[in-house]
Amino acid sequence: MAKDERFDVVIIGGGPNGMASAAYLAKSGLSVCVLEERTESGGACETQEPIPGVRIYPHAMLMYASAAPGFEQLELHKFGFRMEWDPVSPLEMNQGGLACRDGWRQITETDQIGWAKIGGMLGQPPFTRELMRAAFYCPPHPPEVEVTDENTPYMQVYKKHQPDIWTPELRDMTMFDLMDEHLETEHFKTAMAFAAWASGAAGHWEGVAIPAALCVQLLTLPSMGRTSIPRGGLHGYFHAILRAAVHHGATLRTSCPVEEILVEDGRAVGVRLRDTAVTGGRTIHANKAVIAACDVHQAFLDMVGPRHLDPAVIQKLKDISLKNQTLYVSTFHTKTPIRFNETFATNAHHTKYVGPHRQPAAGVFPCDSRELYYACVADVDGHKAQPRVPVEDVMWFQTPSQAFDPTDCQGEYPRGYISSAFEMAVTSPDYHLEGEDALLGYKSDMDRYMRDAYSQVYDGLDDDNVIHHWSATGREVEFRNTGLIGGTWCGSRHDEDQLWTNRPIPELSRYRSPIEGLYHAHQTSGHPGGLCLMAIPYNLMHILIEDGVADPGDWWYASPYYMPQEGKIPANRR
Amino acid sequence: MTDFKYESRFEYDANNPFGHMQEEFPDESEFDVTIIGGGPNGLIAAAYLARAGLRVALCERRFEVGGGLSTEENLFPCYSSNPHVLYHMMVDYMPAIRDFDLNAQALTWIKPNAQTGMVFEDGSSVLLAQQTNDTKDSISKFSFADAQTYGKVVRDWKRIVKDILGPATYLPPMPPIETTIAMERTALGRKMLEIGEATPLEIINETFEHEKVRTLMLYASCMWGLDPRESGLGFMVPLLLDRTVNKCYCYGGSHKFAGALAREVVKGGGLILEAAAVDKILLENGRAAGVQLAHEGRVLRSKVVMSTLDPETTFLDLVGREHLPSQLTEDVEGWAWDKWSFNTLHIATDEPPHYACDDPWIDKSFATVVGIESVDQLLAHWDNVIDGKLDLNSFGGHSTCESLFDPTLSDQPGKYVSMYQIHAPYDLEGGWLNRRAEVEAAMLANWRKAAPNINPDTIISTSMEDPEEIQIRFPQMRRGSIKHGDYTPLQMGCFRPNQDCSETNTPIEGLYTCGASTFPGGLVLGGPGYLGANKVADDLGVKRWWKPTPEMERYIKDYLEE
Repeated sequence: MAKDERFDVVIIGGGPNGMASAAYLAKSGLSVCVLEERTESGGACETQEPIPGVRIYPHAMLMYASAAPGFEQLELHKFGFRMEWDPVSPLEMNQGGLACRDGWRQITETDQIGWAKIGGMLGQPPFTRELMRAAFYCPPHPPEVEVTDENTPYMQVYKKHQPDIWTPELRDMTMFDLMDEHLETEHFKTAMAFAAWASGAAGHWEGVAIPAALCVQLLTLPSMGRTSIPRGGLHGYFHAILRAAVHHGATLRTSCPVEEILVEDGRAVGVRLRDTAVTGGRTIHANKAVIAACDVHQAFLDMVGPRHLDPAVIQKLKDISLKNQTLYVSTFHTKTPIRFNETFATNAHHTKYVGPHRQPAAGVFPCDSRELYYACVADVDGHKAQPRVPVEDVMWFQTPSQAFDPTDCQGEYPRGYISSAFEMAVTSPDYHLEGEDALLGYKSDMDRYMRDAYSQVYDGLDDDNVIHHWSATGREVEFRNTGLIGGTWCGSRHDEDQLWTNRPIPELSRYRSPIEGLYHAHQTSGHPGGLCLMAIPYNLMHILIEDGVADPGDWWYASPYYMPQEGKIPANRR
Repeated sequence: MTDFKYESRFEYDANNPFGHMQEEFPDESEFDVTIIGGGPNGLIAAAYLARAGLRVALCERRFEVGGGLSTEENLFPCYSSNPHVLYHMMVDYMPAIRDFDLNAQALTWIKPNAQTGMVFEDGSSVLLAQQTNDTKDSISKFSFADAQTYGKVVRDWKRIVKDILGPATYLPPMPPIETTIAMERTALGRKMLEIGEATPLEIINETFEHEKVRTLMLYASCMWGLDPRESGLGFMVPLLLDRTVNKCYCYGGSHKFAGALAREVVKGGGLILEAAAVDKILLENGRAAGVQLAHEGRVLRSKVVMSTLDPETTFLDLVGREHLPSQLTEDVEGWAWDKWSFNTLHIATDEPPHYACDDPWIDKSFATVVGIESVDQLLAHWDNVIDGKLDLNSFGGHSTCESLFDPTLSDQPGKYVSMYQIHAPYDLEGGWLNRRAEVEAAMLANWRKAAPNINPDTIISTSMEDPEEIQIRFPQMRRGSIKHGDYTPLQMGCFRPNQDCSETNTPIEGLYTCGASTFPGGLVLGGPGYLGANKVADDLGVKRWWKPTPEMERYIKDYLEE
């Protein structure tokens, strides 16, 4: 059997957070080993082609990361990073409107201006990037610092650039409160709140108005007002990060699940692999740090285990809430193209057929009123069972993001028509009243429910026309990708109790853990959570510099809003 | 640093509300070598040349490198499969694995003793094992004489492979007359020449007497596309039969091999672009000058362009007929695609296939042939396939249960992924789209006859990939040609893909071909990419950092040196 190995840093998990952390640390001159459980690294940034010509993007489809300092700091363009800019012009999109039960409703100028203002687009010059970086690309303040309106990074940015957004109540508001102040139409607000719920922080949660709104803004304004994607999808974006890491000397081992994080005298000293690992159950030693870039439950409850943590912390870790919806993604193969039904095929602007395949794009439906949104939330997060909202009322969205990527061969698929991705929120398996396997048993019922719901807008999803319906339940998501615990895409709930200095619990909020030398860098465990932002690795770097683990070169710059911890090495010393 | 030349024109424009927020890979860049196609050969060529200090860019059309070295979720969600699971036959000889020390660094190969079995309707079976006496024991059930013969011939075959064919795979091809002169030097070489003149069918029939033994031997000899009745390539029978009992499984999936090679490319300073289809090979003054990417128009300039694609794509589509010497055009147009393709049924099940036969080892076998009872039936099946037909009452193929060796393929613990593959025509009578369901049902029934537990109670999901779909996934496997072109005497050795291009250089200066259509051929040999790297390094005057393997050195000494 192969011998044990030794690295400066061992990273558990080869998703976007683990790999970008590896790239940062390898570029800082450390020897780094990334251990990935699956046969392919990439985590949620994945592409599959189950049937030749049919590409499926089971999770991450949309590019939220454009404001990341990592693009510059890791020089991703040198490793092949390219975008595929959505050919649909932003103006055209704005004329499209939002889908409600009675048809399209216009987005008004007041909506557009209000939304642009929240996103920092109305500054002179626009301060969008600064705002995004303040909200997402700054480590939480140290425990000795009280978080105030004055020192909250996004509050500082608004105060400076857009004082009419800044109010003393802003940090208490829900996203609906914020939108009621600056926007006009109910359908626009409902659509944005739903998009926020699906992106992590929901529209009706107090105290997260700005994080919730900016998650949706990340998707649109910074990428030129459209949902543009990298070439090759999010897997292509991941490849650039992976290649940067490997280029700087990081070692990647796939098919290497970790059994245990080795702790000696309260310090993490390495990991032991599971016996099924490609290299057998070998030990990999870490001189300086172990970084858990896998989900917070696995990392602490399984890999560290109760013997190294006190019971109060264990309880808090168990109680980290994943009770957020899981997205159930569908891709359809049909004989004839699916089309808007009579209600929606009204005029040229409203039939938003996009991409080489001329796929229709509905966006969010039905956006009539926030009551529909509330009913969905109560059903999924409250009732925690199979959906009981009638199919006409259930909210869903369709983002044909890859339909305009010409490198995605399905545009020319010769054997019918592919339509994706249709997404609906359902209860995450871990909270399902009938148990975590319940979703598997209901799969065909759920597929049917979803087709019925989508048929409120589209013709062509009937049994005669559908050749294949690919979907993955939240439970299957957990099997496929163990880091997506609860089947929730964004990891743990992005609400006030679990964001910023509270994420995932206050004791762990600066990516450190009760075990010396053990850090965490996963969407479930650190601010700002999910969406493949390359934010956690950047934020973590501040902490690793504070602890003397990393000492990056001149390419490094810290967040301007970062506050060093007393007694540590400041990460912004240059 | 990643090594290429470009001028950055990036500027963050804060005043442009829709301005880019990050820099992208440049529209124009300059390398020493660009390589088209990120399959095993492209990756190998790129890895060698990048480590040699050249600035290398590899362009791959798909979202992931690897080509046939893929491990993908054919049974979405939760079950992954390796289309090339049975192709890792040259792991013992491939220089790239040794030169990059991949076995110590990244890869684990599993080489089961039970390699290829065949089960018959009457419940009998034959098993070819890595250990000769296990094969002899199995054959002895039918014919003790055949068992003894196998014990003897297999020794010659192993030596032919070890001393001659294994190392010769990674050295430039020689014209037939030179090969003959070289082989005449030793008794073993003369033996090989003698075998070379017979057809596979003659070799098998002359060597073995029992019908069942002959049937399996013929299947194993010709399953990759040798014509059973054609002479001239008989020397490949020892090679293929020896390799049949030496197949390896790449633990974690074949794609791990691609991933390991890709990391060597990047470690050497090379660049890999995925989702980067090349639609033009640029020429300047009649010589190769770089490539242009489809859709995005980006230009990568380089003095050397290496294509791993098929001849038609490389020369007619990417270079253009108007730039080719007429002889080359003629050669390319005369290229024969594979005589048959594969139709593959992937399945996920609750249990591994359990074959109703007289030998429990068959259940553990890497590959198991089912549905074929006799040489005549096998020949009739292959003749049908060449005629564009499938007789759904009389056909067979090989199956493998990948999960037996690799629990990582199933995301759901305790479930199994298997496949059943049959030879199939690209132009199926009646059309694949119309006949898919019928063919799938017949394959399941045929498989179930041999392995009764493959039934609706145990099957979780199925997914069939027909020959047309092979070309949809990999357009260069035209007409489902998994080897980019048939194995015939006129398309092998120094004739692959033609006499002007078989040493990887082409009549167009700076353009090289090093994919499966170039000597020594397909099936994840890694030969064309290795030979291409050697040639390009020599032509550019770059010192090779690698040496021939010990087997190659011995072969050079015994057969080639004055």
